Amino acid sequence: MRIEISGLTKTYRGGVAAIDDLDLAVPTGMFGLLGANGAGKTTLMRILAGIVRPTSGRVTVGEHDLGTGAGRTAVQRDLGYLPQDLGVYPDLTARQFLDYVALLKGMDDRTVRRRRVGELLEVVALTEHADRRLRGFSGGMRQRVGIAQALLADPQLLIVDEPTAGLDPEERIRFRTLLSQFAGRRTVLLSTHIVDDIGQTCQEVAVLAKGRLIFRGTVEELTRRAEGQVWSVVTDGPAPTEGTVVSALPHDDGMRYRIVAPSAPRPGARLLEPGLEDGYLAVAAGRGNASRHPAAPPGRRP
Amino acid sequence: MTAFVASLRYEFRMQVRKRTVWIVPALTLVLFVLIGGSLLRDLFDPAERPVDPRTAVVGLAVQLNALLSIGFGCLLADRLIRDDRLRVASILDATPASPRARLLGKYVGVAAATAIPVSVAYFGFAAAYAVDTGEPRALGWALAAFGALFIPGLLFVAAFALAAPLVMPAPLFRVLFVGYWLWGNVVSPDMMPTLARTLVHPLGGYPLAAFFDFHGIDGQDTWAGPIPGATLNALRPDPTPALAWLSIVLLLIIAAAVLAGGHALRTRRIR
Repeated sequence: MRIEISGLTKTYRGGVAAIDDLDLAVPTGMFGLLGANGAGKTTLMRILAGIVRPTSGRVTVGEHDLGTGAGRTAVQRDLGYLPQDLGVYPDLTARQFLDYVALLKGMDDRTVRRRRVGELLEVVALTEHADRRLRGFSGGMRQRVGIAQALLADPQLLIVDEPTAGLDPEERIRFRTLLSQFAGRRTVLLSTHIVDDIGQTCQEVAVLAKGRLIFRGTVEELTRRAEGQVWSVVTDGPAPTEGTVVSALPHDDGMRYRIVAPSAPRPGARLLEPGLEDGYLAVAAGRGNASRHPAAPPGRRP
Repeated sequence: MTAFVASLRYEFRMQVRKRTVWIVPALTLVLFVLIGGSLLRDLFDPAERPVDPRTAVVGLAVQLNALLSIGFGCLLADRLIRDDRLRVASILDATPASPRARLLGKYVGVAAATAIPVSVAYFGFAAAYAVDTGEPRALGWALAAFGALFIPGLLFVAAFALAAPLVMPAPLFRVLFVGYWLWGNVVSPDMMPTLARTLVHPLGGYPLAAFFDFHGIDGQDTWAGPIPGATLNALRPDPTPALAWLSIVLLLIIAAAVLAGGHALRTRRIR
């Protein structure tokens, strides 16, 4: 299910432009969406989920135009959505909550619905807790209920916004695997701050900043944007102020800093192989090596 | 239809499980009896109770409707806004279910659940009265009074209780609602402007007068029609059965309009 976005703008009351003339094509498979807070990721996902209406522009999902009521409803029939700020009804059990959402998704057949709810409770390892009220669930358990509700109708389009927030490392890995297995011939749009989640699951990725597309390409291409810009600096003095500090580790001679900067931040700095996070930071800082490694973005503003 | 039924079913289930839905009306009744609530005790006193079973159960309906509707409205005040407060709204809004059908299901579901203790109290007292007096007709009158008085009035209150907290904090709505209820139902219209005895009186003045020929327990009260010197007399024509139906329909139309307004407001906000 391919998503085509052209000239998309969303301006909230007060004149705040959350999305600004965005062009983006999302192919079938896992697709990552990166960006700082306020970059417009959540607004974009809410538009794709049919919750928020764009101010202008066009979005098609498969054959359906999200600008029409019929199009939105058709997309929502094939949609699984896990919002960033997930909430549940504390007075329902996990099974009842899933049953309620399944009914709203149009799963009328009780037998099919119950079987699907049972399967998904098993998938997210909540079978033992299925008949407990959600009031007593931990954040991670609620997140798993959220994941289950997103998968209820076997969606062709799955939109997940910060899905691994609140999950412990094992749950995170399990969820990533689940998403990858699920993707197949479906479209999964994964928005996250955790760059590693994108690296482990997505082949293609887009980076948003201030509502605009600043990168679109493969994970490898994004990584290469930091080529020649990742440095290791060991110092017992203050942290280097040049570039962006990616990490700081205690070292025998002081601290070892990993820094993304266009040139050596200190004499003796050692050039390192870039990682995905370095590429993201280079692009976010406007220093990506676009000329040396064209990312073949199809949008108007790569 | 599925969205309406699903929403109705689960909203009913969640609301009916709330302990306050049962505690608030129970405490209200206990307090009312303790401070000398007339009919609740007089119904079982052969010397004090009305002779006519219709007057007895319709009078009981007026008292319970006036009393328990206050808690009813207050208990519903968080039901619509809580979807946003609990952060469930995004999940529901992303389903293909019609938002209007979901709202209607929620409205009917939570109103029905909150009305259960009210109906248990009313039919409980009416049944006890019927047994005590050997007057089974009392149950028939109770059913009629419930349909003509309680249901339109509670639906009217429920619409405001769901929608008003979209534009003000729920606790403020509760305070204003209690004030409105006392103003609209207790204060005499010739003392200050009030909706009492008008066509949009949620206690059902016109059905009381035209359907049940009810003039109070002692037969001295007027429940509908013009009052010399009062404002809003344009809304107080002389009662007839047709106007009683009109009064019920008006209450339901206003409730529908308030709900539609709430829906439009919420839609505008999220989009």
